[in-house]
Amino acid sequence: MSAPEPVHPLAAVARGRHGAAGAAPLRVALPAREIVQVMLRRGQDAAFAAAMRAALGMDPPGPGQAVSGSAVTAIWTQPGHWLLTAARRNEGALAARAAEAFAGMAAVADQSHGRTTIVLSGSAAREALSRGCRLDLHPRAFGQGRAAHTPIAQIGCLVHQTDDAPTFELTVFSTLAEPFLHWLLEAGAAYGVEIA
Amino acid sequence: MSQRFRLPAGGHVDRSRRLAFTFDGRRFEGHEGDTLAAALLANGVRLVGRSFKYHRPRGIFSAGVEEPNALVELRDGTRREPNTRATVVELFDGLAATSQNHRGSLAFDWMAVNGVLAPWIGAGFYYKTFMWPAAFWERVYEPMIRKAAGLGRASGQPDPDWYEAAHAHCDVLVVGAGAAGLAAARAAGATGARVILAEQDFLFGGDLLNEPELEPWRGEAIAALQAMPEVTLLPRTTVFGFYDQGVLGAVERVADHLPQPPTHTPRQRYWTIRAKEVVLATGAHERLIAFPGNDRPGVMLAGAARTYARRFGVKAGETAVLFATHDAAYDAAFALAEAGTRIAAIIDPRADSAAMQRARQAGFTVQAGSVVTGTVGGNALRGVETGVAGSGGRANAVAADLLLVSGGWNPAVHLASMSGAALAWDEALLAFVPAAAVQRERSAGACRGVHGIGAAAADGAAAGRAAAIAAGFAPAADVLPPDTPAPDHRPYELWEVKGRGKAFVDIQDDVTADDIRLAHREGFSHIEHAKRYTTHAMGTDQGKTGGLVGAAVLAEARREPVAKVGLPRFRPYTSPVTWGAIAGGEVGQHFQPVRRTALHGVHEALGAVWMDAGLWKRPAYYANPGDADAWASVLREARAVRERVGVCDVSTLGKIVVEGPDAATFLDRVYANTFSTLQVGRARYGLMLREDGLVFDDGTTTRLAPDRFFVTTTTAQAGPVMQHLEFHHASAWPDLDVSLASVTDQWAAMSIAGPKARDVVAAVVQGIDLSNAAFPFMAVADCMAAGVPARVFRISFSGELAYEVAVPAGYAATVWQAVMTAGVPHGIEPYGVEALGLLRIEKGHVAGAEINGQTTAQDLGLGRMLKKKGDFIGRTLAQRPGLTDPARPRLVGLRSVDPARQIRAGSHLLVDGRSQGWITSVTQSVVDPGWIGLGMLREGEARIGSSIIAANPLMGEEVPVKVVSPHGYDAENLRVRA
Repeated sequence: MSAPEPVHPLAAVARGRHGAAGAAPLRVALPAREIVQVMLRRGQDAAFAAAMRAALGMDPPGPGQAVSGSAVTAIWTQPGHWLLTAARRNEGALAARAAEAFAGMAAVADQSHGRTTIVLSGSAAREALSRGCRLDLHPRAFGQGRAAHTPIAQIGCLVHQTDDAPTFELTVFSTLAEPFLHWLLEAGAAYGVEIA
Repeated sequence: MSQRFRLPAGGHVDRSRRLAFTFDGRRFEGHEGDTLAAALLANGVRLVGRSFKYHRPRGIFSAGVEEPNALVELRDGTRREPNTRATVVELFDGLAATSQNHRGSLAFDWMAVNGVLAPWIGAGFYYKTFMWPAAFWERVYEPMIRKAAGLGRASGQPDPDWYEAAHAHCDVLVVGAGAAGLAAARAAGATGARVILAEQDFLFGGDLLNEPELEPWRGEAIAALQAMPEVTLLPRTTVFGFYDQGVLGAVERVADHLPQPPTHTPRQRYWTIRAKEVVLATGAHERLIAFPGNDRPGVMLAGAARTYARRFGVKAGETAVLFATHDAAYDAAFALAEAGTRIAAIIDPRADSAAMQRARQAGFTVQAGSVVTGTVGGNALRGVETGVAGSGGRANAVAADLLLVSGGWNPAVHLASMSGAALAWDEALLAFVPAAAVQRERSAGACRGVHGIGAAAADGAAAGRAAAIAAGFAPAADVLPPDTPAPDHRPYELWEVKGRGKAFVDIQDDVTADDIRLAHREGFSHIEHAKRYTTHAMGTDQGKTGGLVGAAVLAEARREPVAKVGLPRFRPYTSPVTWGAIAGGEVGQHFQPVRRTALHGVHEALGAVWMDAGLWKRPAYYANPGDADAWASVLREARAVRERVGVCDVSTLGKIVVEGPDAATFLDRVYANTFSTLQVGRARYGLMLREDGLVFDDGTTTRLAPDRFFVTTTTAQAGPVMQHLEFHHASAWPDLDVSLASVTDQWAAMSIAGPKARDVVAAVVQGIDLSNAAFPFMAVADCMAAGVPARVFRISFSGELAYEVAVPAGYAATVWQAVMTAGVPHGIEPYGVEALGLLRIEKGHVAGAEINGQTTAQDLGLGRMLKKKGDFIGRTLAQRPGLTDPARPRLVGLRSVDPARQIRAGSHLLVDGRSQGWITSVTQSVVDPGWIGLGMLREGEARIGSSIIAANPLMGEEVPVKVVSPHGYDAENLRVRA
């Protein structure tokens, strides 16, 4: 018996246009992701970095940084902690892969269900985010490959800029994803928000 | 009467755009570019309000935020907004404004009798009069005062508009877009720095708006700024506070100038601005002079009348007298003369000056060495009484409908002061100016005493350039200031003209110079005390025009220099900010985020009645159509658990994975009991203490692998426990190799409880032998459930055979459905938090009501859990005598002697009429019907079996209760082990 597909925490949110009917709306995508929290063991920095290079073809990103390989993105979240994210395949697949690759070097916790990523894109994305995000997202201060944790609308959010469109991937606790998205829809209402 | 005081040309109003508005129901017309005050003056409206305390008639006094008098209720219905200043309200078509603070009509206010009573209701009147009898305060005095005082009325209805917060960052924030601010922003912007220019007015320019010949400079400056990609222009934006670390607050009035906000547009936006460098170019406020009758409608600040003439093309009166103490004020006389106002006289205490000579050459009557000693008129000024300076007598009277006053200028030092800078006394300007900066800020232009447009612009350009360089940018080309003469703003020292009648130092709050002297006589001689005793420098204007005058009057009474007396401390807000803007979007359902479990939709479909648990929504109970009331639902659900089987969403419990070689050591230290001895695949009940030895939290913790544990916390303490663990890991034992991951959201969990629980769970899970031998109480195993990975815990909170099934949250609904289907033959019922509470009270398990931050492990009957060997958090302080005192209240069970008589949580437990404890939790029992509860009772164990009184004085109840063991239900725990 194949496992049923999990329900996305934002499955109930209406797709399509929210807010104003402008020509250049913000675009929101709600991808199914695998998200894995990786926590370094004491004294394993070098071994872990080598294991990540071997398994994912990249070095662990430094503070405030994120790096994407062919299929997996690693985001630094706090000293010795990273999130690995990838498009969803099988239940627990990325966690199992990480646990195997980093055995003895890092603890691995599957957060694929516990964290939800909302992808926000569009020329007005910075302005909409400024309605609740106190990070300076100006190109001189932030940019592609940067990531930071910050409270937005009273909800802890990992903000990760993935391109200069700009596109921001916003990762929050899944049980708070709905109020977070509602905040985003209000923050972006003046520009219009298209949920794919 | 259509704008008969409007000049045919000039100013920044668009005469082709006519805007209709009403004031007190009368219809008027104004133009685009007007403020409400300008439009009222254009139509000859002189009387606009009644004063706060004496209900004296008042007119428009200023042309800006410093306005003490012209406070109106703006709009009507749900959008009615009290105390808006007509001098800054931007006129729009259809605007409706109402004067406030009068009974009867504005022109004849019954409350003006207070003016007659004035000798008896001076400063401190309330404090002295309404002291006796004390019982009258709440019932008589306060309602009376509230009715008589205050200003406008709030709508009392929900605000139909919305407000939003926003964050901004910049290298240089420039506050104020007068000549100094425009130049500063231009100079800073030219370096490539990120610049924000915030201006409270809807037009940029400040005093430039009064200088037609400088219009090209203003226009060019604005165009240059608009062309700079990294410069953000924020008109209609008041920077109201300067906080630590370069954080400033501002309110942008996005749609206040429109009848109502367009769709998707907030009414106002509350900005938090983080600036590397700040240039304050906030200008100055003109100062009043205290003389008898200085509040009569028709008395106006000289610069304001000049602004009405030059910027708005409005003549504020037909015949004017100027009362000034410095040369710069004379420009008002020239401006009004150009506008067609007859200048009847210029009253100046000085002997001679350059401006006086120019005025005489222009044909004005200048009375040197004289002062205004009083005003004549009722609701409008008819004449001005003058006298020889210093003589105290009246010499002359001049007919006039407008009296222009200028006692000098007060630099707007509010933000500099809030940033931490001290204020320094400028002897030439007779004013306080900012002293050395504490934060990364600098003042430029009139707000630091540099007057005159050219000088202010040069000062601003230098400040803007310096700020950008300090923020790390390379200097760019200079900004050329306009070449203008610098008028002389140094005043003759004249704060007050003493005489008969009320001479106001704070017009808005009806504070007179005599009130200040009274405060001093009665011992309130410190400026802060005098302020609070008299209400001086309070209200919407915060003493912008007269604050320093009151301080000077106090200084004279104290026989000390004004510099020593100082001003009351400046605090946010520099100008009134609406509550709507402060609340922003966090109102109504957005006050806090709502946290939903993965099973929220399932509960909704089952008819859940919700209960708030922190941010969470949890089902309190499920209302079935057949249930008579809430209790019927709760009892039905609990009975199902006791007799058959029930299922409850327990996803909200905190879940933390603790992993690493030192995980067991770490848990031994944070828990009061031992975890290093726990076998893999087993759970154990754990108790955490706070550092002070009181109980912090409880929960079950499972050993998943030798170096991996799964900790659960209560719903309420999930966050605090995670913080507690992270704090101790980071600070106390950084040497321990352990990592912490919150997986609360990763896992959904449901508890299946009741005698039939095994049958139901067995039908849902695969790959696990649930027999008692293979999977005893406290066993834990990974398995599959309904085709998805799951983890089953044999743990019980209800006192019944129970299993907790945890699954990755996205599968929760699938597995819940499988459980419900498997439970149909057994009569399964979902149960909510109320039934959960009922079951745990019946069983005698403690929860948040007992673990309330005041109880010890011993108090809760859990003293034996504290390990004897090894240290743990809270161990030392738990041994304090006060915490080990055997006389402390202990956990007991309680049962209402009459099963039908309700007992209530919070009731006192009386023994011989004395309180010996309290009830923590109550419910109705399903195993032995009647009201039961848990409580904390002194000598609790010794009193088991006795009857005492549960007293609830709030409800007027005294209910006999029997003290019983808290563990009355299945004391041997046979059911959980069945």
